[in-house]
This record gives sequence, C-alpha cells and structure tokens, in this order.
Amino acid sequence: MKMRFAAAAIGIAALAMPALAADQVEKAPPSGAYKKVSELVKLPDFLPGLGQLYVDPKTLPAGPFLAYDHEGRLVSTVYMLPIEDLSNKDKRFDDLASPGGKVDHVDVYFNAGHPGVEKPHVHVVLWHVPKADETRVAGK
Amino acid sequence: MMPSRRHILRIGGGLLAGHAFPRLPLAGEPVEIRMQGNADGSQVWFDPVGLHVEPDQAIRWVNHDPGNSHTTTAYHPKNFDHPLRIPERADPWNSDYLLPNETFSVTLEVEGVYDFFCIPHEHAGMVGRIIVGSPGRPPPSTSAAQALPEVVLQTFPSIDEIMHRGVVRRT
Repeated sequence: MKMRFAAAAIGIAALAMPALAADQVEKAPPSGAYKKVSELVKLPDFLPGLGQLYVDPKTLPAGPFLAYDHEGRLVSTVYMLPIEDLSNKDKRFDDLASPGGKVDHVDVYFNAGHPGVEKPHVHVVLWHVPKADETRVAGK
Repeated sequence: MMPSRRHILRIGGGLLAGHAFPRLPLAGEPVEIRMQGNADGSQVWFDPVGLHVEPDQAIRWVNHDPGNSHTTTAYHPKNFDHPLRIPERADPWNSDYLLPNETFSVTLEVEGVYDFFCIPHEHAGMVGRIIVGSPGRPPPSTSAAQALPEVVLQTFPSIDEIMHRGVVRRT
C-alpha cells in the first residue's frame, strides 16, 4: 500500500514539474506571464539603449523587465522604480525576481517617464552581457 | 460665435522629410513643435517651448524622440481633471500617445494663452505655451487641489518673453 502511495506521489510531482520549472528567458519571447511591453502600452517595439522589453503586467511598475537584442537574445534585466517611492520611507521593493542569470555589470540612471511608468523613475539595469555588447541594443 | 477647432492625426513621418527648423512657415504651412528626448530618456521637452501665432495658424506636433511616446494635451478639466489653462471659449485637445514620427495638428482660432503638457512627462516638466493673437487674460491661478508641479510652472516661458521673441526655444 505504501508503495502505491509513493508511486502516486511521484506521478503527481512529475506532472507538476513544468509549472514549477523556471521560465525560459534567454530567448525572446520569454515563457510564463511575460508580455511584450509594446503590446501593453503604446511604446516603440525596440527602445534604443534598452532593446525589446517584456514584463509580467502584475509586476508593474518595478518589473523585472526583460530586454532583448534584435536577434532575440537576453541582454539585461531592468527594474523601474518611481522616484516618489524611493523617497518614501514606508515604501520598499523586496524580493524582485531576477530570472536572467549571471550579471556582468549594473547601470542606474534617471528616466523622465514613459507609457506604463508615467512618472519620473530610476532604471536599474542588470546587464547580462559585457559592456562592449551593450551596442546590441544601441540606437542607430 | 462658438469657435471651431480642426485636428488631424497622421501616421508616419514622410511628410516631414527635409523640413528645416526653426523657420517662419510659408502661408498655409503649419508651425512645427518638436517632441524630443535624450538618449537615455532622462530629459524630454517640447521645442519650441513658447510660441506666438496669429489666429487660424495651424500647429503641428511631431515626435522626434526615437525611444519614447509623447502626447500634446491641453490643460483643461476634460483632460484628466487638469486645471483650465486655455481660453474659456476654446476647445481642448488631446493627441493621445504619438509613436516616433507620428504627428498631430490643431488650428487654434480663439485668441489667448494655451498651455499644454505631455501625459507621461508632465512631472518631468514637459509642457509648452502657445499665445494666439493677443494674450488677453493670463491663465487663471489654480486651486491647491489642482496645483501644478513646480517644475511645470518653472518651464512655462512668460507671456512677455513669448510676445517679445515670437519663438522661445528650449535652453
């Protein structure tokens, strides 16, 4: 009897594995709940300096936003943190997901706003590629 | 007589190829206001930020920012409960989001001062002012509930400066 329960438990666990597995994010489009930003709000499909962005709408405004180059390769993970929240002592951004893997370097800079995050905010960019490869998402 | 307003939304930037800027428009040509931003999106602006035109002059906003969307939206209670900062008899406008190279045009007929803003960038000071004909009364002061961000008030060129210079470029 114990053996039968054990087999059933293993079977259920195996069925649950795909749901528990991490999202595929290395190539666009990422799996899971991520949506293309340009299909959620009216923004250019490819943003010079960032690339093509995907986000799980439930995580707005902070993200993570996953940024891809013209070949659909992940180049960075971006968090967008409103200035008014950063200056609010009662506001925190905890446990933000970071599905992109190894980080080569990080950029932090001010952004005036855009559809989706309509107030001045900070971009925190976790680059997954070397500095020299940032050109893969540079403006023309 | 109730004034009328005409606005045209065009998609695509081919119409604008070869336009020098700034220059006086030829008869019947719209005056252009550029929507711009720097490479990392940290700065955004209208250029010119102040403009004096005669009644019936067409105004055309063009998004020249390759990395962002912008709007031109009149300060008016019909636009997200913003304070009235256009002539009382004038109709408000709102372009909605313009992608790069998209344009939006209005022809303003009622004389007075028109203040406008960009929806996602008002708090970054992306606003502008057009004076049509004689400025008349300045925009009314706003209640505390409708107070504008300080950066907005600092960005509007003064009426005197616009009347004196005609075109106030972003500095």
